[in-house]
Amino acid sequence: MRWERPRTRGGRGASCRRALLLAFLLFTCQPAGAFAAEVETEPSAEGPELFAVESPLGPIEYRAGRGLGFGRTGLTIGGFATAAAERLEGGESQGGIDHVNFLVFYDPLPFLHLFTEIEVNDIVNWETGKRGARSDPGTKVERLYADLGWRDFANLRVGKFLTPFGRWNQVLAEPLLWTTSEPLIVEEVFDETQSGAMLWGTLFPRGEALSYAFYATFLDHIAPEREAPPAQYSIGGRLEWTGRSGSSIGASYVAAARDRAEWNHLGGLDALWRPHDRVELSGELLFGEGSHEEGGQWGLYAQAVVETLPSVYLIGRYDRYELPASDRGIDLFTVGAAWVPTYYLRLKADYRFADHKDELAAPGFYASFSVLF
Amino acid sequence: MGRRLLIVVLLVGFLAAPGVAGESGRVAVIAHPSRRAELSVDLVSQIYLRRKRFWDDGTAIVPLNLPAGTALRETFTRSVLEQSETRLAEYWNRQYFYGVLPPATLASTQAMIRYVASDPSAIGYAPETEVDDSVRVVLRLE
Repeated sequence: MRWERPRTRGGRGASCRRALLLAFLLFTCQPAGAFAAEVETEPSAEGPELFAVESPLGPIEYRAGRGLGFGRTGLTIGGFATAAAERLEGGESQGGIDHVNFLVFYDPLPFLHLFTEIEVNDIVNWETGKRGARSDPGTKVERLYADLGWRDFANLRVGKFLTPFGRWNQVLAEPLLWTTSEPLIVEEVFDETQSGAMLWGTLFPRGEALSYAFYATFLDHIAPEREAPPAQYSIGGRLEWTGRSGSSIGASYVAAARDRAEWNHLGGLDALWRPHDRVELSGELLFGEGSHEEGGQWGLYAQAVVETLPSVYLIGRYDRYELPASDRGIDLFTVGAAWVPTYYLRLKADYRFADHKDELAAPGFYASFSVLF
Repeated sequence: MGRRLLIVVLLVGFLAAPGVAGESGRVAVIAHPSRRAELSVDLVSQIYLRRKRFWDDGTAIVPLNLPAGTALRETFTRSVLEQSETRLAEYWNRQYFYGVLPPATLASTQAMIRYVASDPSAIGYAPETEVDDSVRVVLRLE
């Protein structure tokens, strides 16, 4: 007697398998168009979404480090904040949340970009020798401008904007920088912002980017610094070539006058080179007469950043600044580390060594924690 | 034997699935059929870094990406932008400081093709095998 596999169960199993196979093959071999009706074609913003709610304007969503977007309106609100502390050689210490900066930008039309940066400062601070924490919040318009343009080679910016002189002055936000302290030539020599108009654009010779900016002040200064008011008149320009790897070379020039009596001329060169994906070398050199003080001066910094472990960076910088109309110079060495656990968080610690103590360059330990929101 | 056959058929079926097969082949950079320009890798790179923001007729370019972490996006980023995701995140942080956001994303290559076919200002990419006549290939990447 021959054993036969029971037909009922085995036969049903085989049919099931065949049906499943057929269904799977039909599913996987469908042309793309067959799913067209179910395809979601509404683009969404880049970045991890932490909050989203539907609204008549479209989804209102918050993405980490990329702001709160208001649907299809083109309005985004974001910003950055930093908590910092320092302990100087000699024992003085201070720290706190010095400022929170809000970035508000609105693109109502393809050729119009409205932008403002508003700083809320003196939020909470403490320092040695003073009892308790101090809080005296105030607001300041750091930038306020409109960009108008429909060609890459020519755009017009009107309002208050960062002076396009060198590299560092154009990214004045702690979550974008590698050290807690700024180089002296960025802090001390020229005005951080301009109130006026700037013609700017980019050309693409051989596929690489050649950017230019020419600007002049002609507006009353918008929210000027009380302690160091900017020059009344300024005119300047910048050229920058950027390669595909992100390496760049730039040249800047600004002429400034406090009362049209005498113009001070300042020139600068800067470069950034990425010989390797984990290494960034950068530097700036400037020479001439600054807009803050009369007299010839020059200075430079050279900085190296190396990613040693994933998301951990070591930084070294040398600063040299020859003060105006003086034979006094300052040499400053900064060594530090930065940890970037994710693109919108940055923890930094650095130590400044100075050849001698100077109010411009206090040696000591500096640390900060910044978030881009 | 039957089980082995089943596995082979499943594997073949999986590899033939839309959106997967093409990722191992050539990538096509696509634009609306009305766009006549051929683009170089360098210019596509400038577009995806949002340095080049306008088509020659003055229309704003809308570059589109696949979601971060997808294999095709990684291939595209490697061959066009030639930068690591960490470097790009730094770059976009600096752009964000000026109110410029990275290209928006679409969930799939099918969505990308459909969107680009419907918007003359858009540019995207997809496996060449998935691209049809509804869009125009402006650059092929090996």
